Amino acid sequence: MRIAALVPALLVAAAAAASAHHSYTAEFDLDKPVKLTGTLTRLEWTNPHIWLYLDVKDETGKVTNWGFSASPPGMLTRRGITRNSLKMGEVLTISGHRAKDGSNNASGNVVTFADGRDALIGQEQAVNPTEPGVKK
Amino acid sequence: MRNCFAIALVLSAPVLAQPGIPRLPNGKPNFTGVWAGPAFTHNVGPGDTDTPRVTNFDRAKMAPFRPGAEVKFRQAPTGDVRHDDPTAVCLPDGHPREVLAPYATQFTQTPDTVVILYEYMHFFRVIPIDKPHPPDVDLTYMGDAIAKWDEDTLVIDTIGLREWPLSASNGWHSDALHTIERLKYTDATTVSYNITIDDPKIFTKPWSQEFQMKLHPTWKLLEQVCEENNRCEAGKCSPR
Repeated sequence: MRIAALVPALLVAAAAAASAHHSYTAEFDLDKPVKLTGTLTRLEWTNPHIWLYLDVKDETGKVTNWGFSASPPGMLTRRGITRNSLKMGEVLTISGHRAKDGSNNASGNVVTFADGRDALIGQEQAVNPTEPGVKK
Repeated sequence: MRNCFAIALVLSAPVLAQPGIPRLPNGKPNFTGVWAGPAFTHNVGPGDTDTPRVTNFDRAKMAPFRPGAEVKFRQAPTGDVRHDDPTAVCLPDGHPREVLAPYATQFTQTPDTVVILYEYMHFFRVIPIDKPHPPDVDLTYMGDAIAKWDEDTLVIDTIGLREWPLSASNGWHSDALHTIERLKYTDATTVSYNITIDDPKIFTKPWSQEFQMKLHPTWKLLEQVCEENNRCEAGKCSPR
């Protein structure tokens, strides 16, 4: 089963997954899941989380740049994802939750590449929750 | 009579050293190396990969709370992120939460010292073997740790921990927390890691949880600078 197929239901079920670095729910709104497709314009391979930026075009043709906060470089490297796995100009779909401050930023939990491959780049607990309802 | 003699021989024989595990020249097990600790799902195989995963203590293993202590354990949010979510602003996670961080850990060992280097936030513990705790220990995030050998098991005893979150999601321990970690090889690349949580201000009795560590010869510790790009600190994202 593709990870992306699991995402919509399970992300909601992950009531308050904790991240390695901060409380997930302190920064991202579980009531505002996002799944956006766009072109990768920038990658910050940094701690405590990497950031990916996509130019996302809406139905009117307006382009908005969105930022997605994913796992730190160490965690991704040990899952087999390196900075070279993400190519500038590539079309990606990223699922996550919108930033609580309402800005065009979100968590990035699962990325789907143009060829249909999925990769976990964020919260494993958000995709496979083991402690639903846990309040950090 | 002959049988009794044989039984006596067996009972008096020294415990056989565990074969096939790394050892120092003094014969003690040698934990030197880079490890995937408790916060990894251990599927070491082709490609030498494990999956890092934020890990917490199992609530079912915890002892009952002392009367009135559950409130201290489940400290209500105050609105101050330094209290409510300290690592979000890059404050230390401390011991034992650091052990459960999904980052690599490196051990370096000599006959009289074990040094543990944690990738997450660059913390470390320098642990003397067969030395007592100092008489007057300051309360710190990582505490004061000493070690001793119980046959082939390394036993690490830690006190002097300031009141702080026990793990990412479990609640708070008190300043009376005392942990006992027991590390023992189960094969040449696997260590059983058992930690006892003894917090007499919170729990009615000590409780323990068993984890596993896997040696990763191809890994090295990576840089992890929490302050580097903490863009959405406390829920407010900085401009790009």
